[in-house]
Amino acid sequence: MKSTLDLLTGTAIGAIALAGLTALPAMAEPQGVLVIAENETPENLDPANATNSTVDQLLLGVYDTLVQFTAGDVEVTPRIADSWEISDDGQTYTFTLKQGVTFHDGSALTAEDVVFSLERLVAANAGVMNNMGTYSGAEAVDDYTVALTLDAPFGPFLSALARIYIVSKDAVEPHMGDDNARQWLAVNEAGSGPYTVTDYAPTEAVTLEAFPDYWGGWDGNHVAEVIFRYVSEPSTQLALLEAGEVHIAPDITVEDKLALQGRDGYIVDIGSAATPLYFYMNTASEGPMGDPAFREMIAQTFDRQLHLDQVLMGFGTLPDGPLPVGWMGHAAGTELPFDLDAARAMVEENGWAGTELLVRYLPDIQEEQAAVEQLQSNLGQIGITLTAEGMTWPAQAATTGSVETTADLNMLYSFPNFPDPHAVLNGNFNGALTGAKGGLNWAQYENPEVDALLNAAASSADPAERAALYAQVQELVGADHVAITVSLPGSVVALSDSVEGYVYNVAHHQTFNYMDIGLK
Amino acid sequence: MLTTPRSYPKSWVEWTAIVIAAIIVLTAVFGGLLAPHDPLVIDFRAKLLPPSGTHWMGTDGAGRDVLSRLLTGAQLTLLSTLSVIAVVLVIGCTIGIFSAFVGGWVDNLLMRLADIWLGFPPLILALGFAAAMGASLQAAIWALVFSWWPTYARLSRMITKDILSAKYIAAADTLGVPAWRKVVLYVLPNAFDVLIIQVTLDIAAVMLAISGLSFIGVGAQIPTPEWGAMIADGRDYVRNGWWIVIFPGLAIFFTALSFNIIGDMLRRELDPTSQRRA
Amino acid sequence: MTYILQRIAFSLLSLFVLVLISFLLSHIVPGDPAYVAAGPNAGAEKIAEIRAEMGLDKPVATQFFIYLGDVLRGDFGTSWFTHQPILQDIAQELPPSLELVLVAMVINLVVSLPVGLLTARFNGSRFDDLVRLVSIAGAGLPIFWTAILLQQKVAADWKLFPVAGRLSFEHRRFEGQTGFTLLDSLMQGRLDVFFDALAHLMLPAFALALLFTAVGVRITRTSMISEFKKDYVTLARAKGASEGRVMFRHVFPNGATPALTVFGMQFGWMLGTTVLVEEIFGRPGIGRYAVKAVTQSDIHGVVAVVFVVGLFFLVANLVVDLLLYAINPRKHLEG
Repeated sequence: MKSTLDLLTGTAIGAIALAGLTALPAMAEPQGVLVIAENETPENLDPANATNSTVDQLLLGVYDTLVQFTAGDVEVTPRIADSWEISDDGQTYTFTLKQGVTFHDGSALTAEDVVFSLERLVAANAGVMNNMGTYSGAEAVDDYTVALTLDAPFGPFLSALARIYIVSKDAVEPHMGDDNARQWLAVNEAGSGPYTVTDYAPTEAVTLEAFPDYWGGWDGNHVAEVIFRYVSEPSTQLALLEAGEVHIAPDITVEDKLALQGRDGYIVDIGSAATPLYFYMNTASEGPMGDPAFREMIAQTFDRQLHLDQVLMGFGTLPDGPLPVGWMGHAAGTELPFDLDAARAMVEENGWAGTELLVRYLPDIQEEQAAVEQLQSNLGQIGITLTAEGMTWPAQAATTGSVETTADLNMLYSFPNFPDPHAVLNGNFNGALTGAKGGLNWAQYENPEVDALLNAAASSADPAERAALYAQVQELVGADHVAITVSLPGSVVALSDSVEGYVYNVAHHQTFNYMDIGLK
Repeated sequence: MLTTPRSYPKSWVEWTAIVIAAIIVLTAVFGGLLAPHDPLVIDFRAKLLPPSGTHWMGTDGAGRDVLSRLLTGAQLTLLSTLSVIAVVLVIGCTIGIFSAFVGGWVDNLLMRLADIWLGFPPLILALGFAAAMGASLQAAIWALVFSWWPTYARLSRMITKDILSAKYIAAADTLGVPAWRKVVLYVLPNAFDVLIIQVTLDIAAVMLAISGLSFIGVGAQIPTPEWGAMIADGRDYVRNGWWIVIFPGLAIFFTALSFNIIGDMLRRELDPTSQRRA
Repeated sequence: MTYILQRIAFSLLSLFVLVLISFLLSHIVPGDPAYVAAGPNAGAEKIAEIRAEMGLDKPVATQFFIYLGDVLRGDFGTSWFTHQPILQDIAQELPPSLELVLVAMVINLVVSLPVGLLTARFNGSRFDDLVRLVSIAGAGLPIFWTAILLQQKVAADWKLFPVAGRLSFEHRRFEGQTGFTLLDSLMQGRLDVFFDALAHLMLPAFALALLFTAVGVRITRTSMISEFKKDYVTLARAKGASEGRVMFRHVFPNGATPALTVFGMQFGWMLGTTVLVEEIFGRPGIGRYAVKAVTQSDIHGVVAVVFVVGLFFLVANLVVDLLLYAINPRKHLEG
């Protein structure tokens, strides 16, 4: 449910011309219906909300982007843009667009549509634009050339563009109204992707159908129809999977997934996701959490190994600090290990017993609830009462809008938009992106030293230099006890074995590459 | 119509209900002490264990003993139910008695308001209230108070009106007995029987409503072992841990059932307006 | 005629109270109502706009009349979450809920009326005692618990009914005009769709109906007992009318009337209770919409559901009362 910034290492200078797909007339016919269960209903269909995975998973097949992260890939590849050029000062990106791309409304995709899409997102104050760094404007050079300008160099720019879905200007412009077409695009689509939305009933199901004139053609095994069925109960999802009424059930309990692993007719796909789960401590709090010594005590009260073994049932990696283990710049041992006795000693020494704390979390996510229960249980043993308040995503986000309403602890998954330290560290720890300033730094953490390091790393092109800068960031964040990194769960998805071609997409966590999926 | 002398429990069903209710009340008082395990401390290594000698009702998804949670939860569930009833009793009766004493258009308006209010489904009204207040067990309790008061307002108003029209009140009037003394001396003692019946019957209804709100997620929060919240918590595991869902449900069911039977019995025996069976 | 006018006046008063309750919920919330109404992440500008729109700077009475005007025009605001007018959202979610309630109501009536009549006739018998016990038990079942057990046992294990949803997969393209699948399928002569929709409705409707049927049986019984005691029944029996004739020609029609008032009220209550089964059976509906709105802090969405459910309650009661009056005007004059 969340996303952060971006950055892809190499800043390419000069023309990159990769072989685009030749738009051959469709030979094969897509066939069959793929049904995917989803526990959370989508906000709406607006590309402005594509940071949210429930929205993103629908738009992924409906819209096109200039560049893309395909499933299984960790670098951007061309999509609508055949090639691009980056100016020497790194502030102008000029894209050459593919010709012959048609929107579902029949109009041709041109540079005007790209400019229109971006301008609308800016005007609508869209969440996806938070990822766009120093972006300043777009201009159509000719029908198939578009130039995007930045105020300052911004390394991760191309990666951020992979979530900018392009809408048809012809279709959207008449509905702009005074809300930048937010109401219209919330329930209508104006894309050029392989699938069209034919039925949108967000408390029940959303139906996507193959678009016959898709520019990429329909070679290979594809499904003619994709249905997202909104089923909030894990037990109901399992019953539906067993009854053959859904093909993919991502939200059933880990115990049930383990049980399915050995059964005929089912596949349990395990993807190496990189989505750390955190407890953020409200570092700006007027209460006990504002005290670094108190946070140091809290930091030692969560048993990560137990969580991995018994809650995730081994599906995942033991976390070591906020950055996924093995990533560029990862610094080991920055967070304190679990040590309840040390925490107890601190509580006794400082007379903290009887302190009451509040944690907010999303009860629909089982491992979040389990982690809250673990923490409650441990804190209870050392005399600290932790009250939990279950919420849904937007409501929880709203409470972090000011320091006063931010709970002592907040649980949050970081869904990085691409595998780069910037995507994790910047959004979570940059003082310019605190919850109070509308960002996802829910620890309300402001440390000028950290901000300077993060900004320097974002505009650097040297991997070694960046790695060193990010390592420093982790040391500082660890010393300030800003967050407890709870887990690094794997992506575990239960499928019927009639599904082929499912691949986990690390840049679009909790989505499905139904464009590539076929039914046996 | 013949009136049989007061002979409370009439059948083994009523006896059983009284015994069960007594057990539940005792559990609510001593529940925490009876619990064989800590109801809050989790142990993931012992999760989803089926009922056995050590865990009579098995363990839940976090490895907590279901029986211990049920016993501890009895207090919480009953206490929240009784708080709702106690508050609506006070608020409702105050409005009802006030309305009866003042009479006239105020009385008319208040009772019309109560009639209308009574009609609205309490659950959805409480949901609206919880939305305005935020989700917690306290919010759920207030939400139910907000939707439940008219029952008692109407009842107490009816009784007060009845009493005020009696001859001895007229006599008291000539002696200059103040209104509050009339309430204490005549209204409350006479209202007792009728109110106790309503309270008994409402225990089941309020408890079901609270557990419903907790089930939806706007009531008790984790790790509170409120019975409705326990069912909500266990439903994810229902396919491989039926015991987490079954036992709290049975607890709600038997509590509601026994209090309903007792309420029914009290109505038969105490309420002069109810129909006695031949 | 006076009765009808009185009855309508009462309904209007009720409507006013309903608006008052909705107003209380949406305007008198702890904190800043504009902030709550704007939803999370709204900018200061948007909040100021909403404050002006709701008239929050004006006296409470003025605020109330602004609100009253909005509601009477069907303007419940725009959901900050779906970005759609709330009235439109509700219009989409209402038919599935109404359908569920109607089927539950049919179950309720089909059980309550005959069982109530028989227990009244055999008042005090073993059968009467048993039904009493069963109905008291039914009134103690938590609806959501019954729903889970029915779904897991009857649907998932025994496969007698579908697990969840509104229609089977093969009928996913079925399009209706009214949104009521049962009605639409009949209008199009699609019996296969009709029975499929009905099968999907059975378990949720049954779970919903249990509690209300338990009450319905007892209400019917009470009302029938007083009917059996009336002079005309004794007279009919004395004249040698068969017991069947006495029961079905005399007691039933007369005794059913007062019970109908209660069933009318139950309709509204049921609509307010669908929230407990819709989520479990993965059905769309206003209950599920309300829960979603609550958890997403969409106060206007919740208040709109409270209002709509209350409105249906009022209308159902009015219709039942007027119907009863039409059948037997004298009765009301006596009372």
